[in-house]
Amino acid sequence: MKKFDHIKVGSYEEASQVIQEGEGAIEPIAGGTDLLGTLKDRLLPHYPKAVVSLKGIATSRYIEERDGMLVIGAGTTLKEISESPLVKDHSQALAEAARSVASPLIRNTATIGGNVCQDVRCWYYRYPDSIGGRLECKRKGGDTCYAIAGENRYHSIFGGMSTGGSSCQRACPAGTDIPGYMAKIRENDWAGAADIFFQYNPMPMMTSRICPHGCREHCNQNVYGKSVNIPAVERTLGDYILEHKEDYYKAPEKETGKKCAIIGGGPGGLTAAFYLRREGHQVTVYDSHEKPGGVLRYGIPHYRLPKTIVDQFCQALENGMGIRFVMNTTVGKDVTVEQIKADNDVVYFGTGAWSQPVLGLEGENLTEFGLNFLEEVNTYLKKAMGENVLVCGGGNVAMDVALTACRLGAKSVKLVCLEQREEMPASEEEIQMAIEERVELYNGWGLRKVLESEGKVKGLLAMRCLSVRDENGRFAPSYDQDDTIELASDFIILATGQKVDISFLGDHLSSQLRTSRGLIDANAESGRTRAQGYYAGGDAVTGPDLAIRAIAAGRNAAMAMNRDLDAEKVGNPSHTQEEEVLGPESFTTFDVDGVERTKAVRLRELSASERSLTGEDRSSLDQDTAKQEACRCLRCACYAVNPSDITPVLVMEGARIITTEREFSAKELFTSKLTVQHILHRGELVTEIRIPKTLGRTRYDKRRVRDAIDFAIVSLASAFDVQAGQIKSCRLVLGGVAPVPYQLPEVEAYLTGKKISPETAKEAGEIAMRQAFAMSGNEYKIFMCKDVIYNRVMEAGR
Amino acid sequence: MKEHLEQICVTVNGVPRKFVIGDGVGCVSPSETLLDTIRDRLGLTAAKRSCEHGACGCCTVIMDGDAVASCMVLTADCDGSQVTTLEGLCDPVTGELSPLQKAFADNSAFQCGFCTPGIIMSTRALLDRNPSPTEEELTEALSGNYCRCISHYQVIRTVMGFINEMNRKEA
Repeated sequence: MKKFDHIKVGSYEEASQVIQEGEGAIEPIAGGTDLLGTLKDRLLPHYPKAVVSLKGIATSRYIEERDGMLVIGAGTTLKEISESPLVKDHSQALAEAARSVASPLIRNTATIGGNVCQDVRCWYYRYPDSIGGRLECKRKGGDTCYAIAGENRYHSIFGGMSTGGSSCQRACPAGTDIPGYMAKIRENDWAGAADIFFQYNPMPMMTSRICPHGCREHCNQNVYGKSVNIPAVERTLGDYILEHKEDYYKAPEKETGKKCAIIGGGPGGLTAAFYLRREGHQVTVYDSHEKPGGVLRYGIPHYRLPKTIVDQFCQALENGMGIRFVMNTTVGKDVTVEQIKADNDVVYFGTGAWSQPVLGLEGENLTEFGLNFLEEVNTYLKKAMGENVLVCGGGNVAMDVALTACRLGAKSVKLVCLEQREEMPASEEEIQMAIEERVELYNGWGLRKVLESEGKVKGLLAMRCLSVRDENGRFAPSYDQDDTIELASDFIILATGQKVDISFLGDHLSSQLRTSRGLIDANAESGRTRAQGYYAGGDAVTGPDLAIRAIAAGRNAAMAMNRDLDAEKVGNPSHTQEEEVLGPESFTTFDVDGVERTKAVRLRELSASERSLTGEDRSSLDQDTAKQEACRCLRCACYAVNPSDITPVLVMEGARIITTEREFSAKELFTSKLTVQHILHRGELVTEIRIPKTLGRTRYDKRRVRDAIDFAIVSLASAFDVQAGQIKSCRLVLGGVAPVPYQLPEVEAYLTGKKISPETAKEAGEIAMRQAFAMSGNEYKIFMCKDVIYNRVMEAGR
Repeated sequence: MKEHLEQICVTVNGVPRKFVIGDGVGCVSPSETLLDTIRDRLGLTAAKRSCEHGACGCCTVIMDGDAVASCMVLTADCDGSQVTTLEGLCDPVTGELSPLQKAFADNSAFQCGFCTPGIIMSTRALLDRNPSPTEEELTEALSGNYCRCISHYQVIRTVMGFINEMNRKEA
């Protein structure tokens, strides 16, 4: 065992103080039979510097009766509890449960306080560090639960319990609850899935097509095979939403009378508009283009995102929701920001990054700017260009430009970029497409000068790029000026980045809001700027970035604006729920067969020869196929079961748990969160347990593999008040079957008033297992539960 | 973390033993288990180091009247305790085995013998408390002592026989 210090204290107060001062490096130790095992195997990523021994607290061991309650000090050993006549008399279940723990050797030292706070026995969680390294499972703050697709015969039959967001959700800039909507889709509840999705993002039909989906890299199906094709499922959900757009983009029931202006009709601005309008505000979107959509319409090629989809979405916002669009209006020229502000309560800047950066390249004026090129093609579906096109840049915009040039009929398309093939920022799928369509890649070359003759482009002189980034990972390319090549071309397109231009703000606002990098200074969380009533987000704040980041910024700013407008009063249903609250009623489940499939579904894609400038390259999955893919979601959570024999009894008996700070009901402390540690504060210690007298006879039944030193596979804490063969009242709580003790209110309701009979006992088991969800290896536990309940009910009649 | 120097006294097999808890040479580390202390410092090797998780019972000693798994007890927590190991059952002068130990030997109530010290200590703790246990009580008391050679049947027969003999002698 790695060394730690040992601190003796004389009271709980002293112990609490030492632990609080230890700032997480000091842990309490009572009997030690759980903690020492954890430390010996180095199960946890953190290791305490010291333990505070509670053994020296002389007043912690007692069993007494007080006001009709059985009161037990937390330091009382399980042996004392199992042998106490007072306990046996007051709660046979507790005595039986205490006696069922481990072995006499352990019960002689283990305390009830330690027992109720103990850690799970899941074999993945407990995998010792000395044999190949501990497993950083979900419960330890890692990514996934290995029992989902692994050995789970002793795991939960009622699903898992969330331990904070899943890794895919954390990877999504918008924080989309991906496992949440996948679960709804598995139930074929597309409306439910849409509701979850809309909490984060109002345009899945766009993001499913254009987002690079960093979530997929963090999908834990990667451990077993291919990640879940999240964009494909999202796309079908987006199709569903468009099919039912009147349900999702509708005017609010009540108007707040507040007015909001959105400057910039791109993904971020439209998101802000959506969430503001939904709350009942009047929203006006200003944009310099002819039609709304921003980069969705003008930056992304038709074949990736058909403009009919952008049209449908924007029309839904306009006609369905009643958002006003003021198009062909360049703010700062046609109308000033101040004029807009005068008509509105709040103003949001989602103006994006549309300007061409000046590279200082010789002959740069002869080149074409990538975004302008795309905008022109997207608008007119044609463009005069040369025969041999050269695209500069290695990102997704460069890929879009290159593919667009191909499909416009260029004789040859070359692409030159600083990065080596594997370093290219463009997504792999896009690069593959470009290669298929005969784009020639020149990796590792920087731009030296445009070669010209009589004002006409002849080609590009490129120089060897030695490295793109410096040792700190910052963009700082270094070149070998002497190692050059000439790339022949009569049409060069620069897709090496875009720039933010905020000159529209005017001098006064600009002086307040402009950062040293020429961006708008706004709070990353709320979008608030220094100027009251002005908010900003997206590329204008961050510099060129992903659409999903702009969407997240638009949503967050809308929430901040809504709060600042103080508009909750009008009573529109609140849609902007910040966090999903998981109670014990909502255990997480997955599809047992689906998670075993290691191959991901793929969208049907046109072959290189079939692809065109206007037709979409890929087509959506039907709902059934998308649902099948959603079945592959592991629904990462903790699927271990509560290890304590004592806690089901305490929950069943309605016990009160006293800590150094508070008093809890056993139900609250032991069933509302995955672990007791999630509820107790640092240094908060369980000091006493109070058990009221339960009506009838209480029992604890425990099924396990071995009769000693074993945890329950299934246990049942029960109380039955039976008179003349009729159940007057009863309580039943299962242990070892769910992440927390599992209460059975339906069974209790069913049994109350019933005459005990084999049929009744059997039906009780059936009702108890209605919500059961067997994993691949633990269906037997369902039968075992029914059996335990059957026997206990029958026994209660004797 | 502050320098930790604290003296404790543990009475092992009737002999008071003083230890300084600390990280210096000759000190008992605050994270040292009772099993490590009795085996490595006191040379009392009857208690065996085995599973190290209190699950096998091979390290059983009697502490303040209770059989405990010494691998799951910190020595630093034992100040003022009375600890008895298997060695402590023998006659301190002659080294003669106690009657219980003899009964095990005479009846070959073991196979390889690795778990036997723990089994004897659990039995002793039970008999100290309850001189005439039923077979069920004995089985329960020994339920934390594992034997991979399945000597349990001989153990139960031996101990029940031993109890009967003791009771007959007393009568």
